[in-house]
Amino acid sequence: MSSEEVKVEGACPTDEVRIGVYVCHCGLNIAGVINVKEVVEYAQKLPNVVSAKEYIFMCSAPGQDLIREDIKKCKLNRVVIAACGPEMHEPTFRAVLEEAGLNPYVLEMVSIREGSSWVHYEDPEAATEKAKDMVRMAVARARNLEPLEKMSGEVKQRALIVGGGIAGLASALDLAERGFEVHIVEKKPVLGGHAARMGQLNVEGRKVSGKDLVDYLVKKVKDNPNVHIYTNAEVTKVDGSIGNFTITVKLKPRYVNDKCTSCGKCVEVCPVTAPNEYEYGIGERKAIFLPFEGAYPNQYVIDPETCTFCGKCVEVCPEGAINLDEKEKEITLEVGGIILATGHDPYEPPVGEYGYGLSPKVITLHQLKRLLSEDGPTKGELVIDGKRPRNIVFISCVGSLGTTPNANQYCSRMCCSASLLEALHIKEKYPDAQVFFVHKDVRTYGKDENLYWKAIDNLVKFVRFEESPKVTVGKGEVKVEVEESTIQERLVIPADLVVLVTGMEPPKEIEELRSLFKVGCGGDGFLKEAHLKLNPVESLTGGIYLAGTATGPKSIAESIVAGSAAAAKAASLLSKDTIEVEPIVAVVDEDKCSGCGICVSICPYGAISLEKKEDGTRVSKVDPMLCQGCGTCGAACPSAAIQQNSYKDKQIIPQILAVFER
Amino acid sequence: MSDGDGFEPTIVVFACHWCTYQAINLAGTSRMKYPPNVRVIRVMCSGRVDPQFVIEAFKNGADGVLVAGCHPGDCHYVNGNMKTMRRTVMLEKLLQDMGIEKERFRREWISAAEAKKWVEVVTEMVEQVRKLGPLKLAEREVVMNE
Repeated sequence: MSSEEVKVEGACPTDEVRIGVYVCHCGLNIAGVINVKEVVEYAQKLPNVVSAKEYIFMCSAPGQDLIREDIKKCKLNRVVIAACGPEMHEPTFRAVLEEAGLNPYVLEMVSIREGSSWVHYEDPEAATEKAKDMVRMAVARARNLEPLEKMSGEVKQRALIVGGGIAGLASALDLAERGFEVHIVEKKPVLGGHAARMGQLNVEGRKVSGKDLVDYLVKKVKDNPNVHIYTNAEVTKVDGSIGNFTITVKLKPRYVNDKCTSCGKCVEVCPVTAPNEYEYGIGERKAIFLPFEGAYPNQYVIDPETCTFCGKCVEVCPEGAINLDEKEKEITLEVGGIILATGHDPYEPPVGEYGYGLSPKVITLHQLKRLLSEDGPTKGELVIDGKRPRNIVFISCVGSLGTTPNANQYCSRMCCSASLLEALHIKEKYPDAQVFFVHKDVRTYGKDENLYWKAIDNLVKFVRFEESPKVTVGKGEVKVEVEESTIQERLVIPADLVVLVTGMEPPKEIEELRSLFKVGCGGDGFLKEAHLKLNPVESLTGGIYLAGTATGPKSIAESIVAGSAAAAKAASLLSKDTIEVEPIVAVVDEDKCSGCGICVSICPYGAISLEKKEDGTRVSKVDPMLCQGCGTCGAACPSAAIQQNSYKDKQIIPQILAVFER
Repeated sequence: MSDGDGFEPTIVVFACHWCTYQAINLAGTSRMKYPPNVRVIRVMCSGRVDPQFVIEAFKNGADGVLVAGCHPGDCHYVNGNMKTMRRTVMLEKLLQDMGIEKERFRREWISAAEAKKWVEVVTEMVEQVRKLGPLKLAEREVVMNE
């Protein structure tokens, strides 16, 4: 956009400003406190106001008619509506202006309801005075409002899904089945995320594991021609905005190509090992490994952090599938919408927290789930330190509810259910095991409440604490000391196995994620929804949607729901050819711009660039599709050359001055 | 609003659309009470608040100015509020050099859910400024670059 005057439909001659002021009663919501008549009479005397009227409900059909007729009759070119705030009815009244032949952006709404009558009802006089001030300020601002051209941009009808866990897979499948092209970018070498490692799930009447669900989704996704899967890949750059993103993806070398038959000969000769992250640190894996049996892609991978590149695997590979010289590649994707299904990290207790890391008898819930999984390191047999444990103590809320100095303040939602399910699993498998559930609270919400009652029926012993229990690790002995808060007695439980019921945390790379995609985080560190209730799968940035545990702890079922919801939201964007965007973007007055570049450095969206003019001088240029309309460039510009539409200095400063023009 | 006894201060508030302005709305829908001394100017982001706006407000008769936005890390526009923070830290010093008491200028982070905080901040600020009396900047011995 340039500084030259644009011919805008419905624009008015600016030489004479003719303002109409409409004060709404909102039934008695406003008129029950504020003397509306007095406000209207006051407004009539303000400079440039040619008409001021009141009505019981301005938003009703007769109210709208009144404004429409007035605009035509009084030849208005600015409209002020003193009623509720702009959130609810700005679109309503903008439409009224348009229907009356005015540009929709010469409207100013002032909230005398939320801002005065509803909060100063005990002092009607002060509320009326405040309403008059507010109307005067709105008129001052409206005087300099300018007609704006509606803006729209092209929509690339493809989606990027970041994260190939259960939520990302659900999103991908839904979008692909609706006919949209989908690109899944997964950081790990295989799809499935944490869900694939979660063992048995609480599904009434059926034996279902997390892996079964992942396998089902992966099969459907990989067979769908609309889906492109990139594993061992990371997004490194995000350009563009809603409807039109350009994504740069780094494909990390896998060193093993798809000729791999998973014969495993390479693993036998590999001389180096690392803790197996796919078993949550139980046991080890080699530098060349298959993350887990039946993973997709079912293809070995070399972890370059561990590998010494000795070449022994290359020698034994019968298929010649290993190439240690493989280089990183880069691809770009053009998409209209993005779903972030970037998941969580399990809480990792620091060494010494409840004895963690001091004894093999203290493990986390995630590790227990692996031990009890049939595809786990012990094929589902619970063996600790070579023996089967008899006394098993779960300690709940490890890393949650502020139970330790290191813990998060929030409840992690799924851990109570997940751990009671495993407690029952143990009881069923080893009826002689004694299981204690040492808890602060039991939050088996919703349908999972059956787990709690089942656990009671199966003699899981519930021990409640107010003060966090103490775990002492002696010579081969582990004891849990806890003050039982119901019976108010100190219990000392000798434990063969202590299971720390660990919750979920934002992933370590969340900071990089949020700055890469320009999305916000909440106080808990997870990605933030645009609105917790109304827009739970949308981010605050247009065209970016959120699924699964990216926004906070969720069960597998809830993650799938969120994945499908994000896909539905994305689909409603992707099914359009173009989208309309608010034109409250920054514009540059090239005559004033000195090309200093301060705005370029301050813009959070990279929407401003410096351009060389014919005479060799530099000026700022704004990409109106990238600009999100925050206006911070306007506050930083030393020569007021860059201004935000509808929030220009000439619109805000008169509003400030009007406060005192009583 | 008169001077001297029964002095009622005027506080100009710059509120960001996404957090503080929504908190003000929430205070309204929750029928919370607070002193009617505030005059709110809505901007899309607190990062839009040019220090010049604050000076203009004081120069023209404001007894106090409040700049309020989203909590750090919660900005709708990635980090606009951090820019507000930087600018206002400098501005605070400048205002104090001009002889404007520090209670008269405040920067607050008030989220869309924090209607209670909005009420508390405004109530406290009005009380403090009421005690200080009118600012009357023009009458003070202040060198201003007019």
